[in-house]
Amino acid sequence: MTLHQKELLDNVLKMMDYSGEEDVLKSDCDIDIYLLDNCEITVPEINRFMVAVDCRAIREIVLRERFYAAKSTIRDPAYADGMAAKLYFGTYDFGHTSACWEDVIDLGIYGLRQRIDRYRDRAGNDPHKQRFYREITRVYDAALRFIARAAKKARDEGRTEMADGLDHLTKGAPSTLYEALQTVILYYYLQQYFDGTLLRTLGRLDTLLLPFYKKADKAIVPQMLLDFMQEIDRIRAAANMPFALGGTDEQGNDLINELSYLLLETYRKAGTNCTKLHLLISKNTPRDIVENALDAVREGNNSIVFMDDGRVIKSLELLGEEHRDAVNYHVVGCYECGANGEITCSCGTRMNLAKALEMALFSGVDLLTGKQIGLANDGVFPTFDDLFSEYLRQVKYAVDCGIYCTDLCEENYGMLHAAPIFSATYVSALENGGDLYCDHSAKYPNSSVDAIGLATATDSLAAIRKLVYEDKSLTLDELKAILKNNWEGQEVLRLTVKNKFPKYGMGDKKTDDLAKKTVDALAAQVNGHPNKKGGIYRLGLFSIDWRWKFGSLTGASADGRLSGETVSQNTGATFGADRNGATAHLLSVAYLDGTRTPNGAIVDLDLHSSAVRGENGLNAMTASLYTFLDLGGFCIHYNVLDTETLKKAKDNPEAYPNLQVRLCGWNVLFSSLSEKEKEEFIARSESAGMSA
Amino acid sequence: MKGLVSGIKRMEIHDGDGLRTTVFLKGCPLKCIWCHNPESISFSVQTAYFKEKCLHCGTCGDKHTAETALSCPVNAIVTYGTEYEAYELVETVMQDEAFFRAGNGGVTLSGGECLAQPDFAVELARLFHEKRISVYIDTCGFVPRETLKRILPYTDKFLYDVKAVDPAVHRACTGQDNAIIIDNLRFLSKMGAAIEIRIPLVVGYNDMEIPAIADLLKDIPCISKVKVLKYHNFAASRYEALGMENTLPPALTTSEDVQKAVDILASRGLNAVNGVTSD
Repeated sequence: MTLHQKELLDNVLKMMDYSGEEDVLKSDCDIDIYLLDNCEITVPEINRFMVAVDCRAIREIVLRERFYAAKSTIRDPAYADGMAAKLYFGTYDFGHTSACWEDVIDLGIYGLRQRIDRYRDRAGNDPHKQRFYREITRVYDAALRFIARAAKKARDEGRTEMADGLDHLTKGAPSTLYEALQTVILYYYLQQYFDGTLLRTLGRLDTLLLPFYKKADKAIVPQMLLDFMQEIDRIRAAANMPFALGGTDEQGNDLINELSYLLLETYRKAGTNCTKLHLLISKNTPRDIVENALDAVREGNNSIVFMDDGRVIKSLELLGEEHRDAVNYHVVGCYECGANGEITCSCGTRMNLAKALEMALFSGVDLLTGKQIGLANDGVFPTFDDLFSEYLRQVKYAVDCGIYCTDLCEENYGMLHAAPIFSATYVSALENGGDLYCDHSAKYPNSSVDAIGLATATDSLAAIRKLVYEDKSLTLDELKAILKNNWEGQEVLRLTVKNKFPKYGMGDKKTDDLAKKTVDALAAQVNGHPNKKGGIYRLGLFSIDWRWKFGSLTGASADGRLSGETVSQNTGATFGADRNGATAHLLSVAYLDGTRTPNGAIVDLDLHSSAVRGENGLNAMTASLYTFLDLGGFCIHYNVLDTETLKKAKDNPEAYPNLQVRLCGWNVLFSSLSEKEKEEFIARSESAGMSA
Repeated sequence: MKGLVSGIKRMEIHDGDGLRTTVFLKGCPLKCIWCHNPESISFSVQTAYFKEKCLHCGTCGDKHTAETALSCPVNAIVTYGTEYEAYELVETVMQDEAFFRAGNGGVTLSGGECLAQPDFAVELARLFHEKRISVYIDTCGFVPRETLKRILPYTDKFLYDVKAVDPAVHRACTGQDNAIIIDNLRFLSKMGAAIEIRIPLVVGYNDMEIPAIADLLKDIPCISKVKVLKYHNFAASRYEALGMENTLPPALTTSEDVQKAVDILASRGLNAVNGVTSD
């Protein structure tokens, strides 16, 4: 008797122990097993590789329940106001992971199960370790029962190919390309739906699948890859499902191969918008595959992120990670890089640079609520450098607070979540005999900080420098009064600052220096800072869609931004501030140290479609990419926008069902955006058109 | 050496090969009725007033001058014409040097008519050439032979406009005779210069000239490409803002018209390209 999602959820909630003494590893193993044994399995007509299950939201609800139960331990009320105001934010992150894909593909679920036995036999009598092996073995046994059940269901429905593959996977490693692809989707299901640990990359598919591809009948491969890509897309993973192509091996050889081209071609053909691609570009990456990917972007598939392989590796090595692990890095989520064996918790800590400047100006008092959330000061800054130092002091404080809040959660992971299926893919977890979360058993059990609103803070600092300290057209107190009043009655000044003042993103070193110094200070503080898991913190500079929320809680800023408006996106210029065009924009961003942001630093470059037309348009795009990476860029993504198309799609969404834009770290259908977001994209495209 | 510049455009792909920066020098000896850069016709600094952008904030006291342009908060008042020292302009353009190298591009001097500020244009070309930056000269050809001789050593390619062969048509469209232009084109060809011809196609004005242009060009060596550009009237608001009489013809030229012209040129053995569909 199999159960639907609602009944499964009810029963799972009954299994939970609310005493505060819950053994989370055991509980989560019980839940995994319960779901694996009891979920209803269907076989969608359209799927080629995998059955379907409906365990929607169950693990999220379990986590939420645990969070509330643990709240008094993992949240400190003294930091509630600063968190609520989004000066900083610190939380748990079980959502940005990469399995050790080599092992998953090499061994299959069956092989992973067998491997546990070998580690158990070697581990001696340590009861803690033995308990871990026992628990995860139970789960893997249930996973194999699930696969057998899925195989039977597929066979009952006459789906021989799927059933044969699944049957084989109950007793061995994948042996064909079909079974390898099936294993990818199968594992995805197991970790995502049963383990409740979000999986945020399929890994370097071109390298992982190459041995299987070599043995495969080439005539049937293209269709198989296409079916795979589309089946992945139908999973509708949160914020897109990435895979990577390229990269380098330990000796520095570029890994692009015949299959890379085929996968890119398949990706272009698939017309999907949930799968996304990280192209890892080394000095030896063939130019034609880069051009091919840029051409795909130009034709509307903008879900491709271009990453500098060398700089990613360097940024991980600077964290002290071993060369062989750094080289074999994964990119999870949007653009967060982690070494092989690393847990990044990439979205745990966030801080708002624009709000930190607000703290410097207003003595730590929140403009919106009047609460003291930052550090107090005497408000006297005779020179701009004095003010800038105070800003950096507030930045440091906000980072410290965010880290403290994250630490509280992370040192109590044992109260929140265990990941038995996921853990068994990590050799370090097996060696240490502990769960990746409950026991922090990763080789690199790390944590991350993201600083948001770099351009907003930089432009505001530049404006204060000019108004108060250079032109002396206002005193700092007068400017503060204006900001407090949200620029009311000062529209002329506000627009002058917005439209006429120097900005980050114009390739102007004097302004860019402010951004660079901010990032250098952040990197010095964050990178290598010990966490509570035996690992360290890492810096990122991405804002994704947090920028809306963080902006809504940030008072008026000196760059002409009104109270509540969004802060700037990722490492890019404020929209419309890139007045000197795309090359100047890239010069500003590349001026930042791209080796100190392993957690991701991306610029979203908006180009008008007319600026990338024809052969020379592709050449210019390629040149912009290579130059940016040569000059020190970490990663870049392009939005090729056409104002007319966006306007038509806004007025007439049903005529443009497939038009996609890159929202932040992921792609969305234009039709799914709010009116406000649609208008922002149209304004961006117009601004790109002006400089086109 | 100083000159007057009406604009600088970076990461340009439409003014020559590769990724380029186009520098627009101010002032032109022709007055083409379809000119899409009206701000670059006059040799003096001009102030434009875009009334649809105006907030009526009073900052300018309703005076639209170079002075008030500096303080207009929304750039409704814009000054066209910035004086640059040649070395200073070169420095600005060289910020993108790495992009030029990666994108097989360089700098294009355009206008207006860049060669109508001959000393400045030659000095710029020389300085860029010295730095091994590719220099393209976008010219209408209505310039003294002497200027061409001076710029030739520093020029990697001429983007040479041909608008009509019939002198009467040429005069009607540009205000000037075309004998010098055709002569200069033959001269550059004889000197072995690399030349790309550009034909702005304006239906009802010079489309009937295409066969004659084709006949003219087919006997001139050194022409690597003939590009037909589609006329548009996007510049209308700039004419108004500059207080200039709007001479723009109605925008009737279609992509098909451009293709027709391309086909005629190609049928005479020319390497004709469609400026709409290519870059």
